[in-house]
Amino acid sequence: MDKLVAQYSRPAHQNEMYSEQEQHDLTESLPPLSLKFNLPPVDNSRSWLRAMTDDHSNPSCPIKLAHGTTTLAFRFQGGIIVATDSRATAGNWIASQTVKKVIPVSRLSRGEDKANNAPTPGLLGTMAGGAADCQYWLRYLSQQCTLHEIRHKRRITVAAASKILANLTYAYKGYGLSMGTMLAGMTPQEGPALYYIDSDGTRLPGNLFCVGSGQTFAYGVLDANYRYDLTEEEALELGRRSILAAMHRDAYSGGFINLYHVKEEGWVHHGFDDMNPIFWKTKLEKGEFSNVTSEL
Amino acid sequence: MTGFDFSNYNRNAALHAKGVPLPKATSTGTTIVGCIFDNGVVIAADTRATSGPIVADKNCEKLHYISPKIWCAGAGTAADTEFTTALISSNVELHSLSTGRDPRVITCMTMLKQHLFRYQGHIGAYLVVAGVDPTGTGLYTVHAHGSTDKLPYVTMGSGSLAAMSVFESTWKANLNREEAVELCAEAIKAGIFNDLGSGSNVDVCVIEKDKPTQLLRNYIKPNERGEKERNYRFPRGTTAYLNQKVISKEDMRKYVTVEEVSGDPNLMEVDS
Amino acid sequence: MMSFMGHQPQSQAVGYTFSQPTNAPNKEHSFYPYTDNGGSTLGITGADFAILAGDTRSVAGYNINSRYAPKVFKIGGDDDTGEGAHIILSVVGFAADGQALKERLDAVVKMYKYQHGKPMSVRACAQRLSTILYQKRFFPYYVHAILAGLDEEGKGALYSYDPVGSYEREQCRAAGSAASLIMPFLDNQVNFKNQYIPSSGDGHALEPKKPEPLPRETVEQLVRDAFTSAVERHIEVGDGLQMMVITQNGIEEIYTPLKKD
Repeated sequence: MDKLVAQYSRPAHQNEMYSEQEQHDLTESLPPLSLKFNLPPVDNSRSWLRAMTDDHSNPSCPIKLAHGTTTLAFRFQGGIIVATDSRATAGNWIASQTVKKVIPVSRLSRGEDKANNAPTPGLLGTMAGGAADCQYWLRYLSQQCTLHEIRHKRRITVAAASKILANLTYAYKGYGLSMGTMLAGMTPQEGPALYYIDSDGTRLPGNLFCVGSGQTFAYGVLDANYRYDLTEEEALELGRRSILAAMHRDAYSGGFINLYHVKEEGWVHHGFDDMNPIFWKTKLEKGEFSNVTSEL
Repeated sequence: MTGFDFSNYNRNAALHAKGVPLPKATSTGTTIVGCIFDNGVVIAADTRATSGPIVADKNCEKLHYISPKIWCAGAGTAADTEFTTALISSNVELHSLSTGRDPRVITCMTMLKQHLFRYQGHIGAYLVVAGVDPTGTGLYTVHAHGSTDKLPYVTMGSGSLAAMSVFESTWKANLNREEAVELCAEAIKAGIFNDLGSGSNVDVCVIEKDKPTQLLRNYIKPNERGEKERNYRFPRGTTAYLNQKVISKEDMRKYVTVEEVSGDPNLMEVDS
Repeated sequence: MMSFMGHQPQSQAVGYTFSQPTNAPNKEHSFYPYTDNGGSTLGITGADFAILAGDTRSVAGYNINSRYAPKVFKIGGDDDTGEGAHIILSVVGFAADGQALKERLDAVVKMYKYQHGKPMSVRACAQRLSTILYQKRFFPYYVHAILAGLDEEGKGALYSYDPVGSYEREQCRAAGSAASLIMPFLDNQVNFKNQYIPSSGDGHALEPKKPEPLPRETVEQLVRDAFTSAVERHIEVGDGLQMMVITQNGIEEIYTPLKKD
């Protein structure tokens, strides 16, 4: 009874002001290292979030999030090729055609591309699914990788980095994160290493992955022409051609072809090129895509 | 019965239940009003047609002809108001031919409500019926479900509240023609500016005893588009093309009638 | 009690069923904290400036809440007028969330200045805004934000965001209800998409027109034309146009009336 009375005898506006801790959090100019997320004040926050943001199951949801699509990476004798498209869609709307879906992970590769195109040490992550989820958690991962470097005085292995991410996505399983990402890197311990991690908590090592709504189209080309002993030139061309196939057939993929090569010394960027001229070059010079005609 | 074809009804209901969105019909948002005066009646409407939040037509006509002395302002689904008034117009004409008398407003209103009631609101026509007949002036509202009202001044559509506020604050009995036209135009303007579903211009129709009916199309144009600041004409050859095929005017004449237009042939034809 | 004449819901009146249950798959939630307040914003950068603009109408359904509700704000200024700010933010979507977001970022940028003794760079502010949005990943701010300022080299910088914080630096961006009307116009007029240089080559050798930073006068004209056109065809856009131009010399605010219907 006393408890009941106490419940109603508080001043009405007791909770109106921010607590000292809340004030601190609100004005802190650096983001907190601990993972504190605001949750909606409802019993089932997961299904609430789904109703608000999942445009797949609910086309009229009020908040449409940007989604990314078609990424691929494969190992070969000369390292790892990473290639992506650059389109972001929110529902049927093309939100952007210039998204950078390859995200450098780890402190040393934070800087922009080096002028002489020299390799930059570090890992590469790819982005498929929710754009914000991938950007945020890969940034979080590079923070962790940097801490690892400082603590252990050596670079993190791809296996360990991928495990950090997989543990993270597994911890948030069911909350509605959406990401399908690949981590590619080369370390002295592992050689070229490639991992697939997704928001279900899956973590797989492998030679070859395609992720996103255009994955099947990319697999079609990649599987048909893939060999481990591809030369560097051949491997880059295969990566480009596989993405092109996906961009051509998948409405949710398109824009620019983003191409990277991971070598022993680090990764090298091989261009962010408009798909259109590449498509016409492929068609006219190699006679592929014969289904496309300009006959009147 | 002829008229409506229901053969896709079950299929569409099933598709909708599965989550397929229904096709969007043009309209809903509108302001229409009517007001009687000493010698007749005035109706008025805005000229915006919408499809969701998009303006489908900036200058559409919402005042429909029923008979020379009976006119109708329509709100709701654009196609429904259009076809319902056209249908009733035909029936009113036949009725007056068979009776040999001028049609009455109440007859038209009754035909409309009976037609709409039969379809239980599925025909989304919300109408203001106005006219002059041998019994005097008539002004009615007809709702999609079939209910009607008879009042000295009426408003309908999404801007009805804005328009009604003008009537309620400034209406007085025994208006003359000019005052009634001004009052109706003012009410429509309230709808145009305060209701997002209404916009553009004011159309007015004045029906008076012993005088020809006047349709004052675009009576007020308070929302004219200003000049664009830049010129968006592209130089010839700006657009890439894969292939071309030249069809001469002589070839064209085999299939269509070619009309030569005077003026600068380089000017692109743009919406006024 | 059972009845042969019971009223059936519309969906079951159909004589057959689908494998999935046909009654609405989306559960109604009584907790609905969002309203779409409509309106549109847009940003364009130039060589030494950036412009953010937004209409000033705030709507709810078919009603107008306000004919002057600004969507573009100065961030990190010294007093209430925003004097001394070097970053601008536009928010469109749910106005209350936009207001909260703007105040949050404003506090953060001010605290940064007090703690570090120097103004926050636009790049750092852009990254911080992303994390602020992502902190509410599971209860999102219902807004599309655009951030603008000048980068370390003095060039115009523009960053656009989705509601949960994915972001990208761009030359131009339109957001809000008329984004689908304005963005294609910007693609064509700012980045010269689908424009080729006449008689620069035959067939596939035809050269695309290369985008280059536009002068300020041109950009202001494009912004005004984009909005006067959006007003013509979108019912939620209108009343006024608020433009903020950020240059080396500070922030200039320009207001132009728009149609009010």
